[in-house]
Amino acid sequence: MSAVLVEESAPVQAPLRDRGVRAVLALARFEARRLLLSIPVLIAFAAYVAWIVWRTRTSWDGSPALQDADRATQSMPMLVGLAVLLYANYAVVRSERHGTEPHFSILVLQPWRRTAAHALSVVPAALLAAVCVVGQFTWEALKPGAIGHGSPAELAVGPLTVLVFGVLGVLLGRLARRWAFAAPLLVVVLLFAFVLGTAPGDANGRSWLAPVVSETGPDTLPSDLLGRPAAWHALYLAGVALCIALLAVVVAGGRSAAVRTGLALGLAAAVTGGVLQAGGATPSPELTAARERASARPELTCAEHGGSTYCAFPEWVPRTDAWAEVADRVQSLAGGPAHDRPLLVRQRIDARYGPSADTSIPASTEPHRVTVGTAWGGNRVPEFSSAVAAVLVAGTEAAGSEICDGRMVTVMWLSLSWQDDPMAALRRVRLDDSVTGSAIVLSPTDPLSMTEGQTDVVRHLLEKPPAGVGARVKAHWAELTAPGVTTARAAELLGVAKPGKADSCE
Amino acid sequence: MRVTAVRGVTPDLVGPVWRTLPWRALAAAGILGLLVAATPLVTGGEPAPWQTLLLLRGIALIGALGLAFLLDDPARHLTAPLPTPRPVRQALRVALVTPIAALWWAAVLLLTPSASRPPVGEVTLEAVAVGVLALAAAALAVRLTDEARPGPFVAAVLLLTAVLAPLLAPEGWALFAQADDPRWPAAHDRWAVLAVGAAVAGALCGPEPLGRGARRIRGAGAPV
Repeated sequence: MSAVLVEESAPVQAPLRDRGVRAVLALARFEARRLLLSIPVLIAFAAYVAWIVWRTRTSWDGSPALQDADRATQSMPMLVGLAVLLYANYAVVRSERHGTEPHFSILVLQPWRRTAAHALSVVPAALLAAVCVVGQFTWEALKPGAIGHGSPAELAVGPLTVLVFGVLGVLLGRLARRWAFAAPLLVVVLLFAFVLGTAPGDANGRSWLAPVVSETGPDTLPSDLLGRPAAWHALYLAGVALCIALLAVVVAGGRSAAVRTGLALGLAAAVTGGVLQAGGATPSPELTAARERASARPELTCAEHGGSTYCAFPEWVPRTDAWAEVADRVQSLAGGPAHDRPLLVRQRIDARYGPSADTSIPASTEPHRVTVGTAWGGNRVPEFSSAVAAVLVAGTEAAGSEICDGRMVTVMWLSLSWQDDPMAALRRVRLDDSVTGSAIVLSPTDPLSMTEGQTDVVRHLLEKPPAGVGARVKAHWAELTAPGVTTARAAELLGVAKPGKADSCE
Repeated sequence: MRVTAVRGVTPDLVGPVWRTLPWRALAAAGILGLLVAATPLVTGGEPAPWQTLLLLRGIALIGALGLAFLLDDPARHLTAPLPTPRPVRQALRVALVTPIAALWWAAVLLLTPSASRPPVGEVTLEAVAVGVLALAAAALAVRLTDEARPGPFVAAVLLLTAVLAPLLAPEGWALFAQADDPRWPAAHDRWAVLAVGAAVAGALCGPEPLGRGARRIRGAGAPV
């Protein structure tokens, strides 16, 4: 018998480390593939993409402000994140469930490296969410009516939420290995806390600890007046994600210098972001001053279009063409001096109460001045054209909002007759979406009001060919726009049946 | 003959079945549900009726997630040849848990603010329907797979359904109507139908498939 010389242990140590990293990456790749192909995540992504397509086709009536469009990408990735949480947790506890844990303990890959691989396996799902977010935002930005600026930090929130929720599932799997019921219950709690409970309104420092803070109001603000600590919030989310991931690694027994450094870095990022975003949640004196200036004495950029002047916040200057087109259409129908009168269309906002406030702008008392808001498209078009028509007929917006006599017929005909579907525009511009009876007519500032008789006359006018009515409007312009003209007289001048009911100007 | 056998065996079964119930899942769901229910009481908030209804529906979902683990039986491959058929054992599990679940739901209802509490009977019907749905899904998973503990799958399916159903269910069904909605009574007829349908489906899934029909999908996690 010959002795066998066994040589050992010399080549083991050095290659093992390297193989550890490669093995972690290989496991992460494998788990990422399984994660992305798992049924909950597939369904979540399918629902997410369907939602993007369904919503973005009609969002903001085709005229998005990109500083709002970036925030609109944030809430839906949370549902994807919950699905990722569910499956990431399941993947971590899988070996425990199937009793294969002892088999893994003889492999070169220690538990903490396997946990690191599970945490890494969430990253591709977050990247896929980022692709969806970028797709949604790009779609908005490519719409012809898009204006403003998006914020990369706001766009990062959605994918970071997926990352946070995913690594939370990994951590939960490490902490409660035998408790398969922990993840579904955590999902319900997160649903309650963040998805259903995200009430818009007072955004204080503490509410910014939630992954998504959606301050959505009816009005858009210029992007420099938003006052959202978006960059700090993104840093906070990234720090939290890193922290949770490395905490899971530590729980699994990882104590290497890299893990400790990473944990310290993540903690520092989360705390820094958390503190600074809390500080940024309350508007600074400079921001408050800027908001007040923008509300009272805004610095607008003015552009001339066909005799009239259009003044807008710098981000809205590209939209002055669209405003000018509407104002020109309305003015071309007017007669008398109003036909060529130069108008001053000024954009006005009330930014004093922040982006989530519902504010109203008082009517301007300056002659021949029309107010336009920050939103456009859809109902905003007939609303603006009604304001232009009221100023042309009554002289000022304030006087226009007080019209109760027969001049209202002229105002509404000027506002609506040039539109593609005047009757639909009439329905949309009225608050109760009706075409009969009395109603409030919306405008960018104070609303106008129509009586039942005026509505009947306007409806009859809109059913007639616009050219004939247009000639009569121009011919009788002085009498039609004289204060005190009755609706019956206006109907007579314009050649339609008199209304059943008289005006009520009390 | 068979009935007497069932009657004879059941008392002896109660003890072991009681011990093997997934107590941790049930306790976790129960405690979490009570905590959520007590939130308005603790924080002193006065939720609007729709918020209380949402809260109760959420708690019903939490309870149902606990019940999704009820039919998990790590020993199912050993108990298959027992003289007591599986439907009896499953029914026993459900019967043992029902009084506890009823007490728990009563406590949840008492914890929610009475001022904004929706009609108790109808909300209870919704909770029962969701619970029965969870049990039926668990029974279906047991019936169709070889998986000893399908709880996590069932819970995931239930969660997915709970998130997608309000989004995808036809508006006309009004399953998730508010209490002041005129369709509220009709919606609860539908909830009742849903509960009965789920119960029947769950019961049909009970018997162990034997003989020629014993074809099962091999679950992803089936023991190798």
